[in-house]
Amino acid sequence: MSKAMLIDTTRCIGCRGCQVACKSWHNLPGERTTFSETWSNPRHMNSNNYTRIIFREVAQPDGKLNWYFVKRQCMHCLDPACESVCPVGALTKLKDGPVVYDDDKCIGCRYCMMACPFQVPKFEWGKAVPLIRKCDFCADRIAIGLAPSCSTACPSQALVFGERGDLLKEAHRRIGAHPGKYYPEVYGEKIVGGTAKLYLTPVSFEALELDHRGFRTDLGNVPYGIYGREWMSKVPWVALGVGGLAVGLFYINKRRAEVQDQKSQEGKED
Amino acid sequence: MAENKEKWYPGEGKLTTGHAVLYIILVLGLISAIIRLFFGLGATTNLNDAYPWGLWISFDVLSGVALAAGGFTMAAAIYIFNLKKFEPLLRPAKLSAFIGYLVFVVGLFFDLGQPWRIWHPMVMWNPHSVLFEVSWCVMLYTTVLGIDILIMALERWKKYELVAIFRNLYLVLVVAGVMLSTLHQSSLGALFLLMPEKMSDLWASRAIGPLFFTSAVIGGMGVVILESLISSWAYNRKVELKLLSALSKGLGLALLVYFAMKVTDLYARGATVWAFDKPHFFFYLELFGTVALPAILLTFSEVRNSIKGLYWAAGLAAFGVVLNRFNVSLTSYGGYRDFSYFPSAIEIILTLALIAGGILIFDWGTRYLPVYQSELTGKTH
Repeated sequence: MSKAMLIDTTRCIGCRGCQVACKSWHNLPGERTTFSETWSNPRHMNSNNYTRIIFREVAQPDGKLNWYFVKRQCMHCLDPACESVCPVGALTKLKDGPVVYDDDKCIGCRYCMMACPFQVPKFEWGKAVPLIRKCDFCADRIAIGLAPSCSTACPSQALVFGERGDLLKEAHRRIGAHPGKYYPEVYGEKIVGGTAKLYLTPVSFEALELDHRGFRTDLGNVPYGIYGREWMSKVPWVALGVGGLAVGLFYINKRRAEVQDQKSQEGKED
Repeated sequence: MAENKEKWYPGEGKLTTGHAVLYIILVLGLISAIIRLFFGLGATTNLNDAYPWGLWISFDVLSGVALAAGGFTMAAAIYIFNLKKFEPLLRPAKLSAFIGYLVFVVGLFFDLGQPWRIWHPMVMWNPHSVLFEVSWCVMLYTTVLGIDILIMALERWKKYELVAIFRNLYLVLVVAGVMLSTLHQSSLGALFLLMPEKMSDLWASRAIGPLFFTSAVIGGMGVVILESLISSWAYNRKVELKLLSALSKGLGLALLVYFAMKVTDLYARGATVWAFDKPHFFFYLELFGTVALPAILLTFSEVRNSIKGLYWAAGLAAFGVVLNRFNVSLTSYGGYRDFSYFPSAIEIILTLALIAGGILIFDWGTRYLPVYQSELTGKTH
């Protein structure tokens, strides 16, 4: 069965323990951070930061500020666009859930970065011979029966690791049990064909204004890879059609030229 | 007229100012290329996580391949649609197509994060990937063009028995060339089928494959006309005006078809066509300035039968194809990204060097290979 993670943003306290745990498990370098107009730190996901908490302050009608913490990382789509587009098959969806990347295959074309509907794959721009980097759902930990490092580190059980089916049931149970507390949709249940990361939020993702921050709501429920695969399924027929037509016309032209030659020769004999 | 005046442009047997400029750009490009290889993409380009694809993809890859479509367009016109009168234009078209693909391959080499693994798609397959198909088609088609050039070289070396062997393959070469080109020219557009949400409405079309194919045919014909006009000027050859004006009729027709396709597509998708912002400016420039305008120009026989008219019409059409590739791969993302992108000096120099190198190889090729019919001993094929 496919593993997944239920991210209940109402439980998140914004401690960023998951960010630290991710860095330690993946041996990623720390970096000097600075204050800015947002509490989110670092400012962007990149090849050294596979996950980060987005801090959102949303003003309520009564003037009060509401805090929202939304964890961002690879969504581990059930049918990933990146896997579909990679020309050398460097990205693969494993049976138990993670979408993993093979360092030894990648040619660095960056098509996965262009195609990912969540803009997750990042490039090692600082290196002379760069590779793609992204959250791997701690595939090595899952393989030996451990939970991903971020969910192990989470102190408030905002990151629950488990079977996707079970977690979906749990998500809908929570929505049903606390009608005012949750927005009644699970982000990740259906979007782009479903993802392994399932989000519960108090308000909709539109209201959180995360469209430009990697959580689009207009992606539809069709896996993006389908568009490429549809095209590829037509390729052999186009090849046969064009090839056949070309050969056919070539021979018709040749025959016509021969007939003309013969006629003109016959004309001379007369 | 200009007999006593020294020429500045390539074409004469000796080194001209034009040659010198091209060689200087080439050397600068070589230095840029070495810097790029040693310091990496991040240090030498303005690419970033928001703009993973930049000038090298838009120009060297997408525009380069589209402008090199003249080879297969002319081969199809002559051998498949039986328009034998265009035969004198075939060999220069093939030479420029081969050079276009060389530019593409070299440009792609420097754009890849792992350039030394450029061969990986040969052995590591992902038949679901449009880019996988493109890489195979391009590899095979560049080989086909390479064989075409090899045949010219063999003729020059008078190895006629070898030429005869390759001549037997001729049908295979023509058909493979047309088939592979149809596939990858359209598939380069299909690469963008997966990112509708990131692109502006103006270019995010499900019909982008056929649109890319049609505009590549336009680019190919435009370049064949320009290339013929320019080499007549550079090598003091008589302009084949009758032939070029006949070809420009085809170009005009292709432009009309493309315009109709574009308009139908925009209408069917209900795209917001009328607005004032940067993407719309480039969109109007593309659709009206480089598709509609040359199409209208080419309806006048005065334009089709004058050198200046042909320069303008073919130039606009070819420029339009380049503009379209830039629009699809860069302008289109303007409203989506929070960042902007403008190529770095190294990106620009390397691209200019590829163009300079292309011109130098073409110049060399036309002087050492039997490219023009008047130089041929045998029959063109």
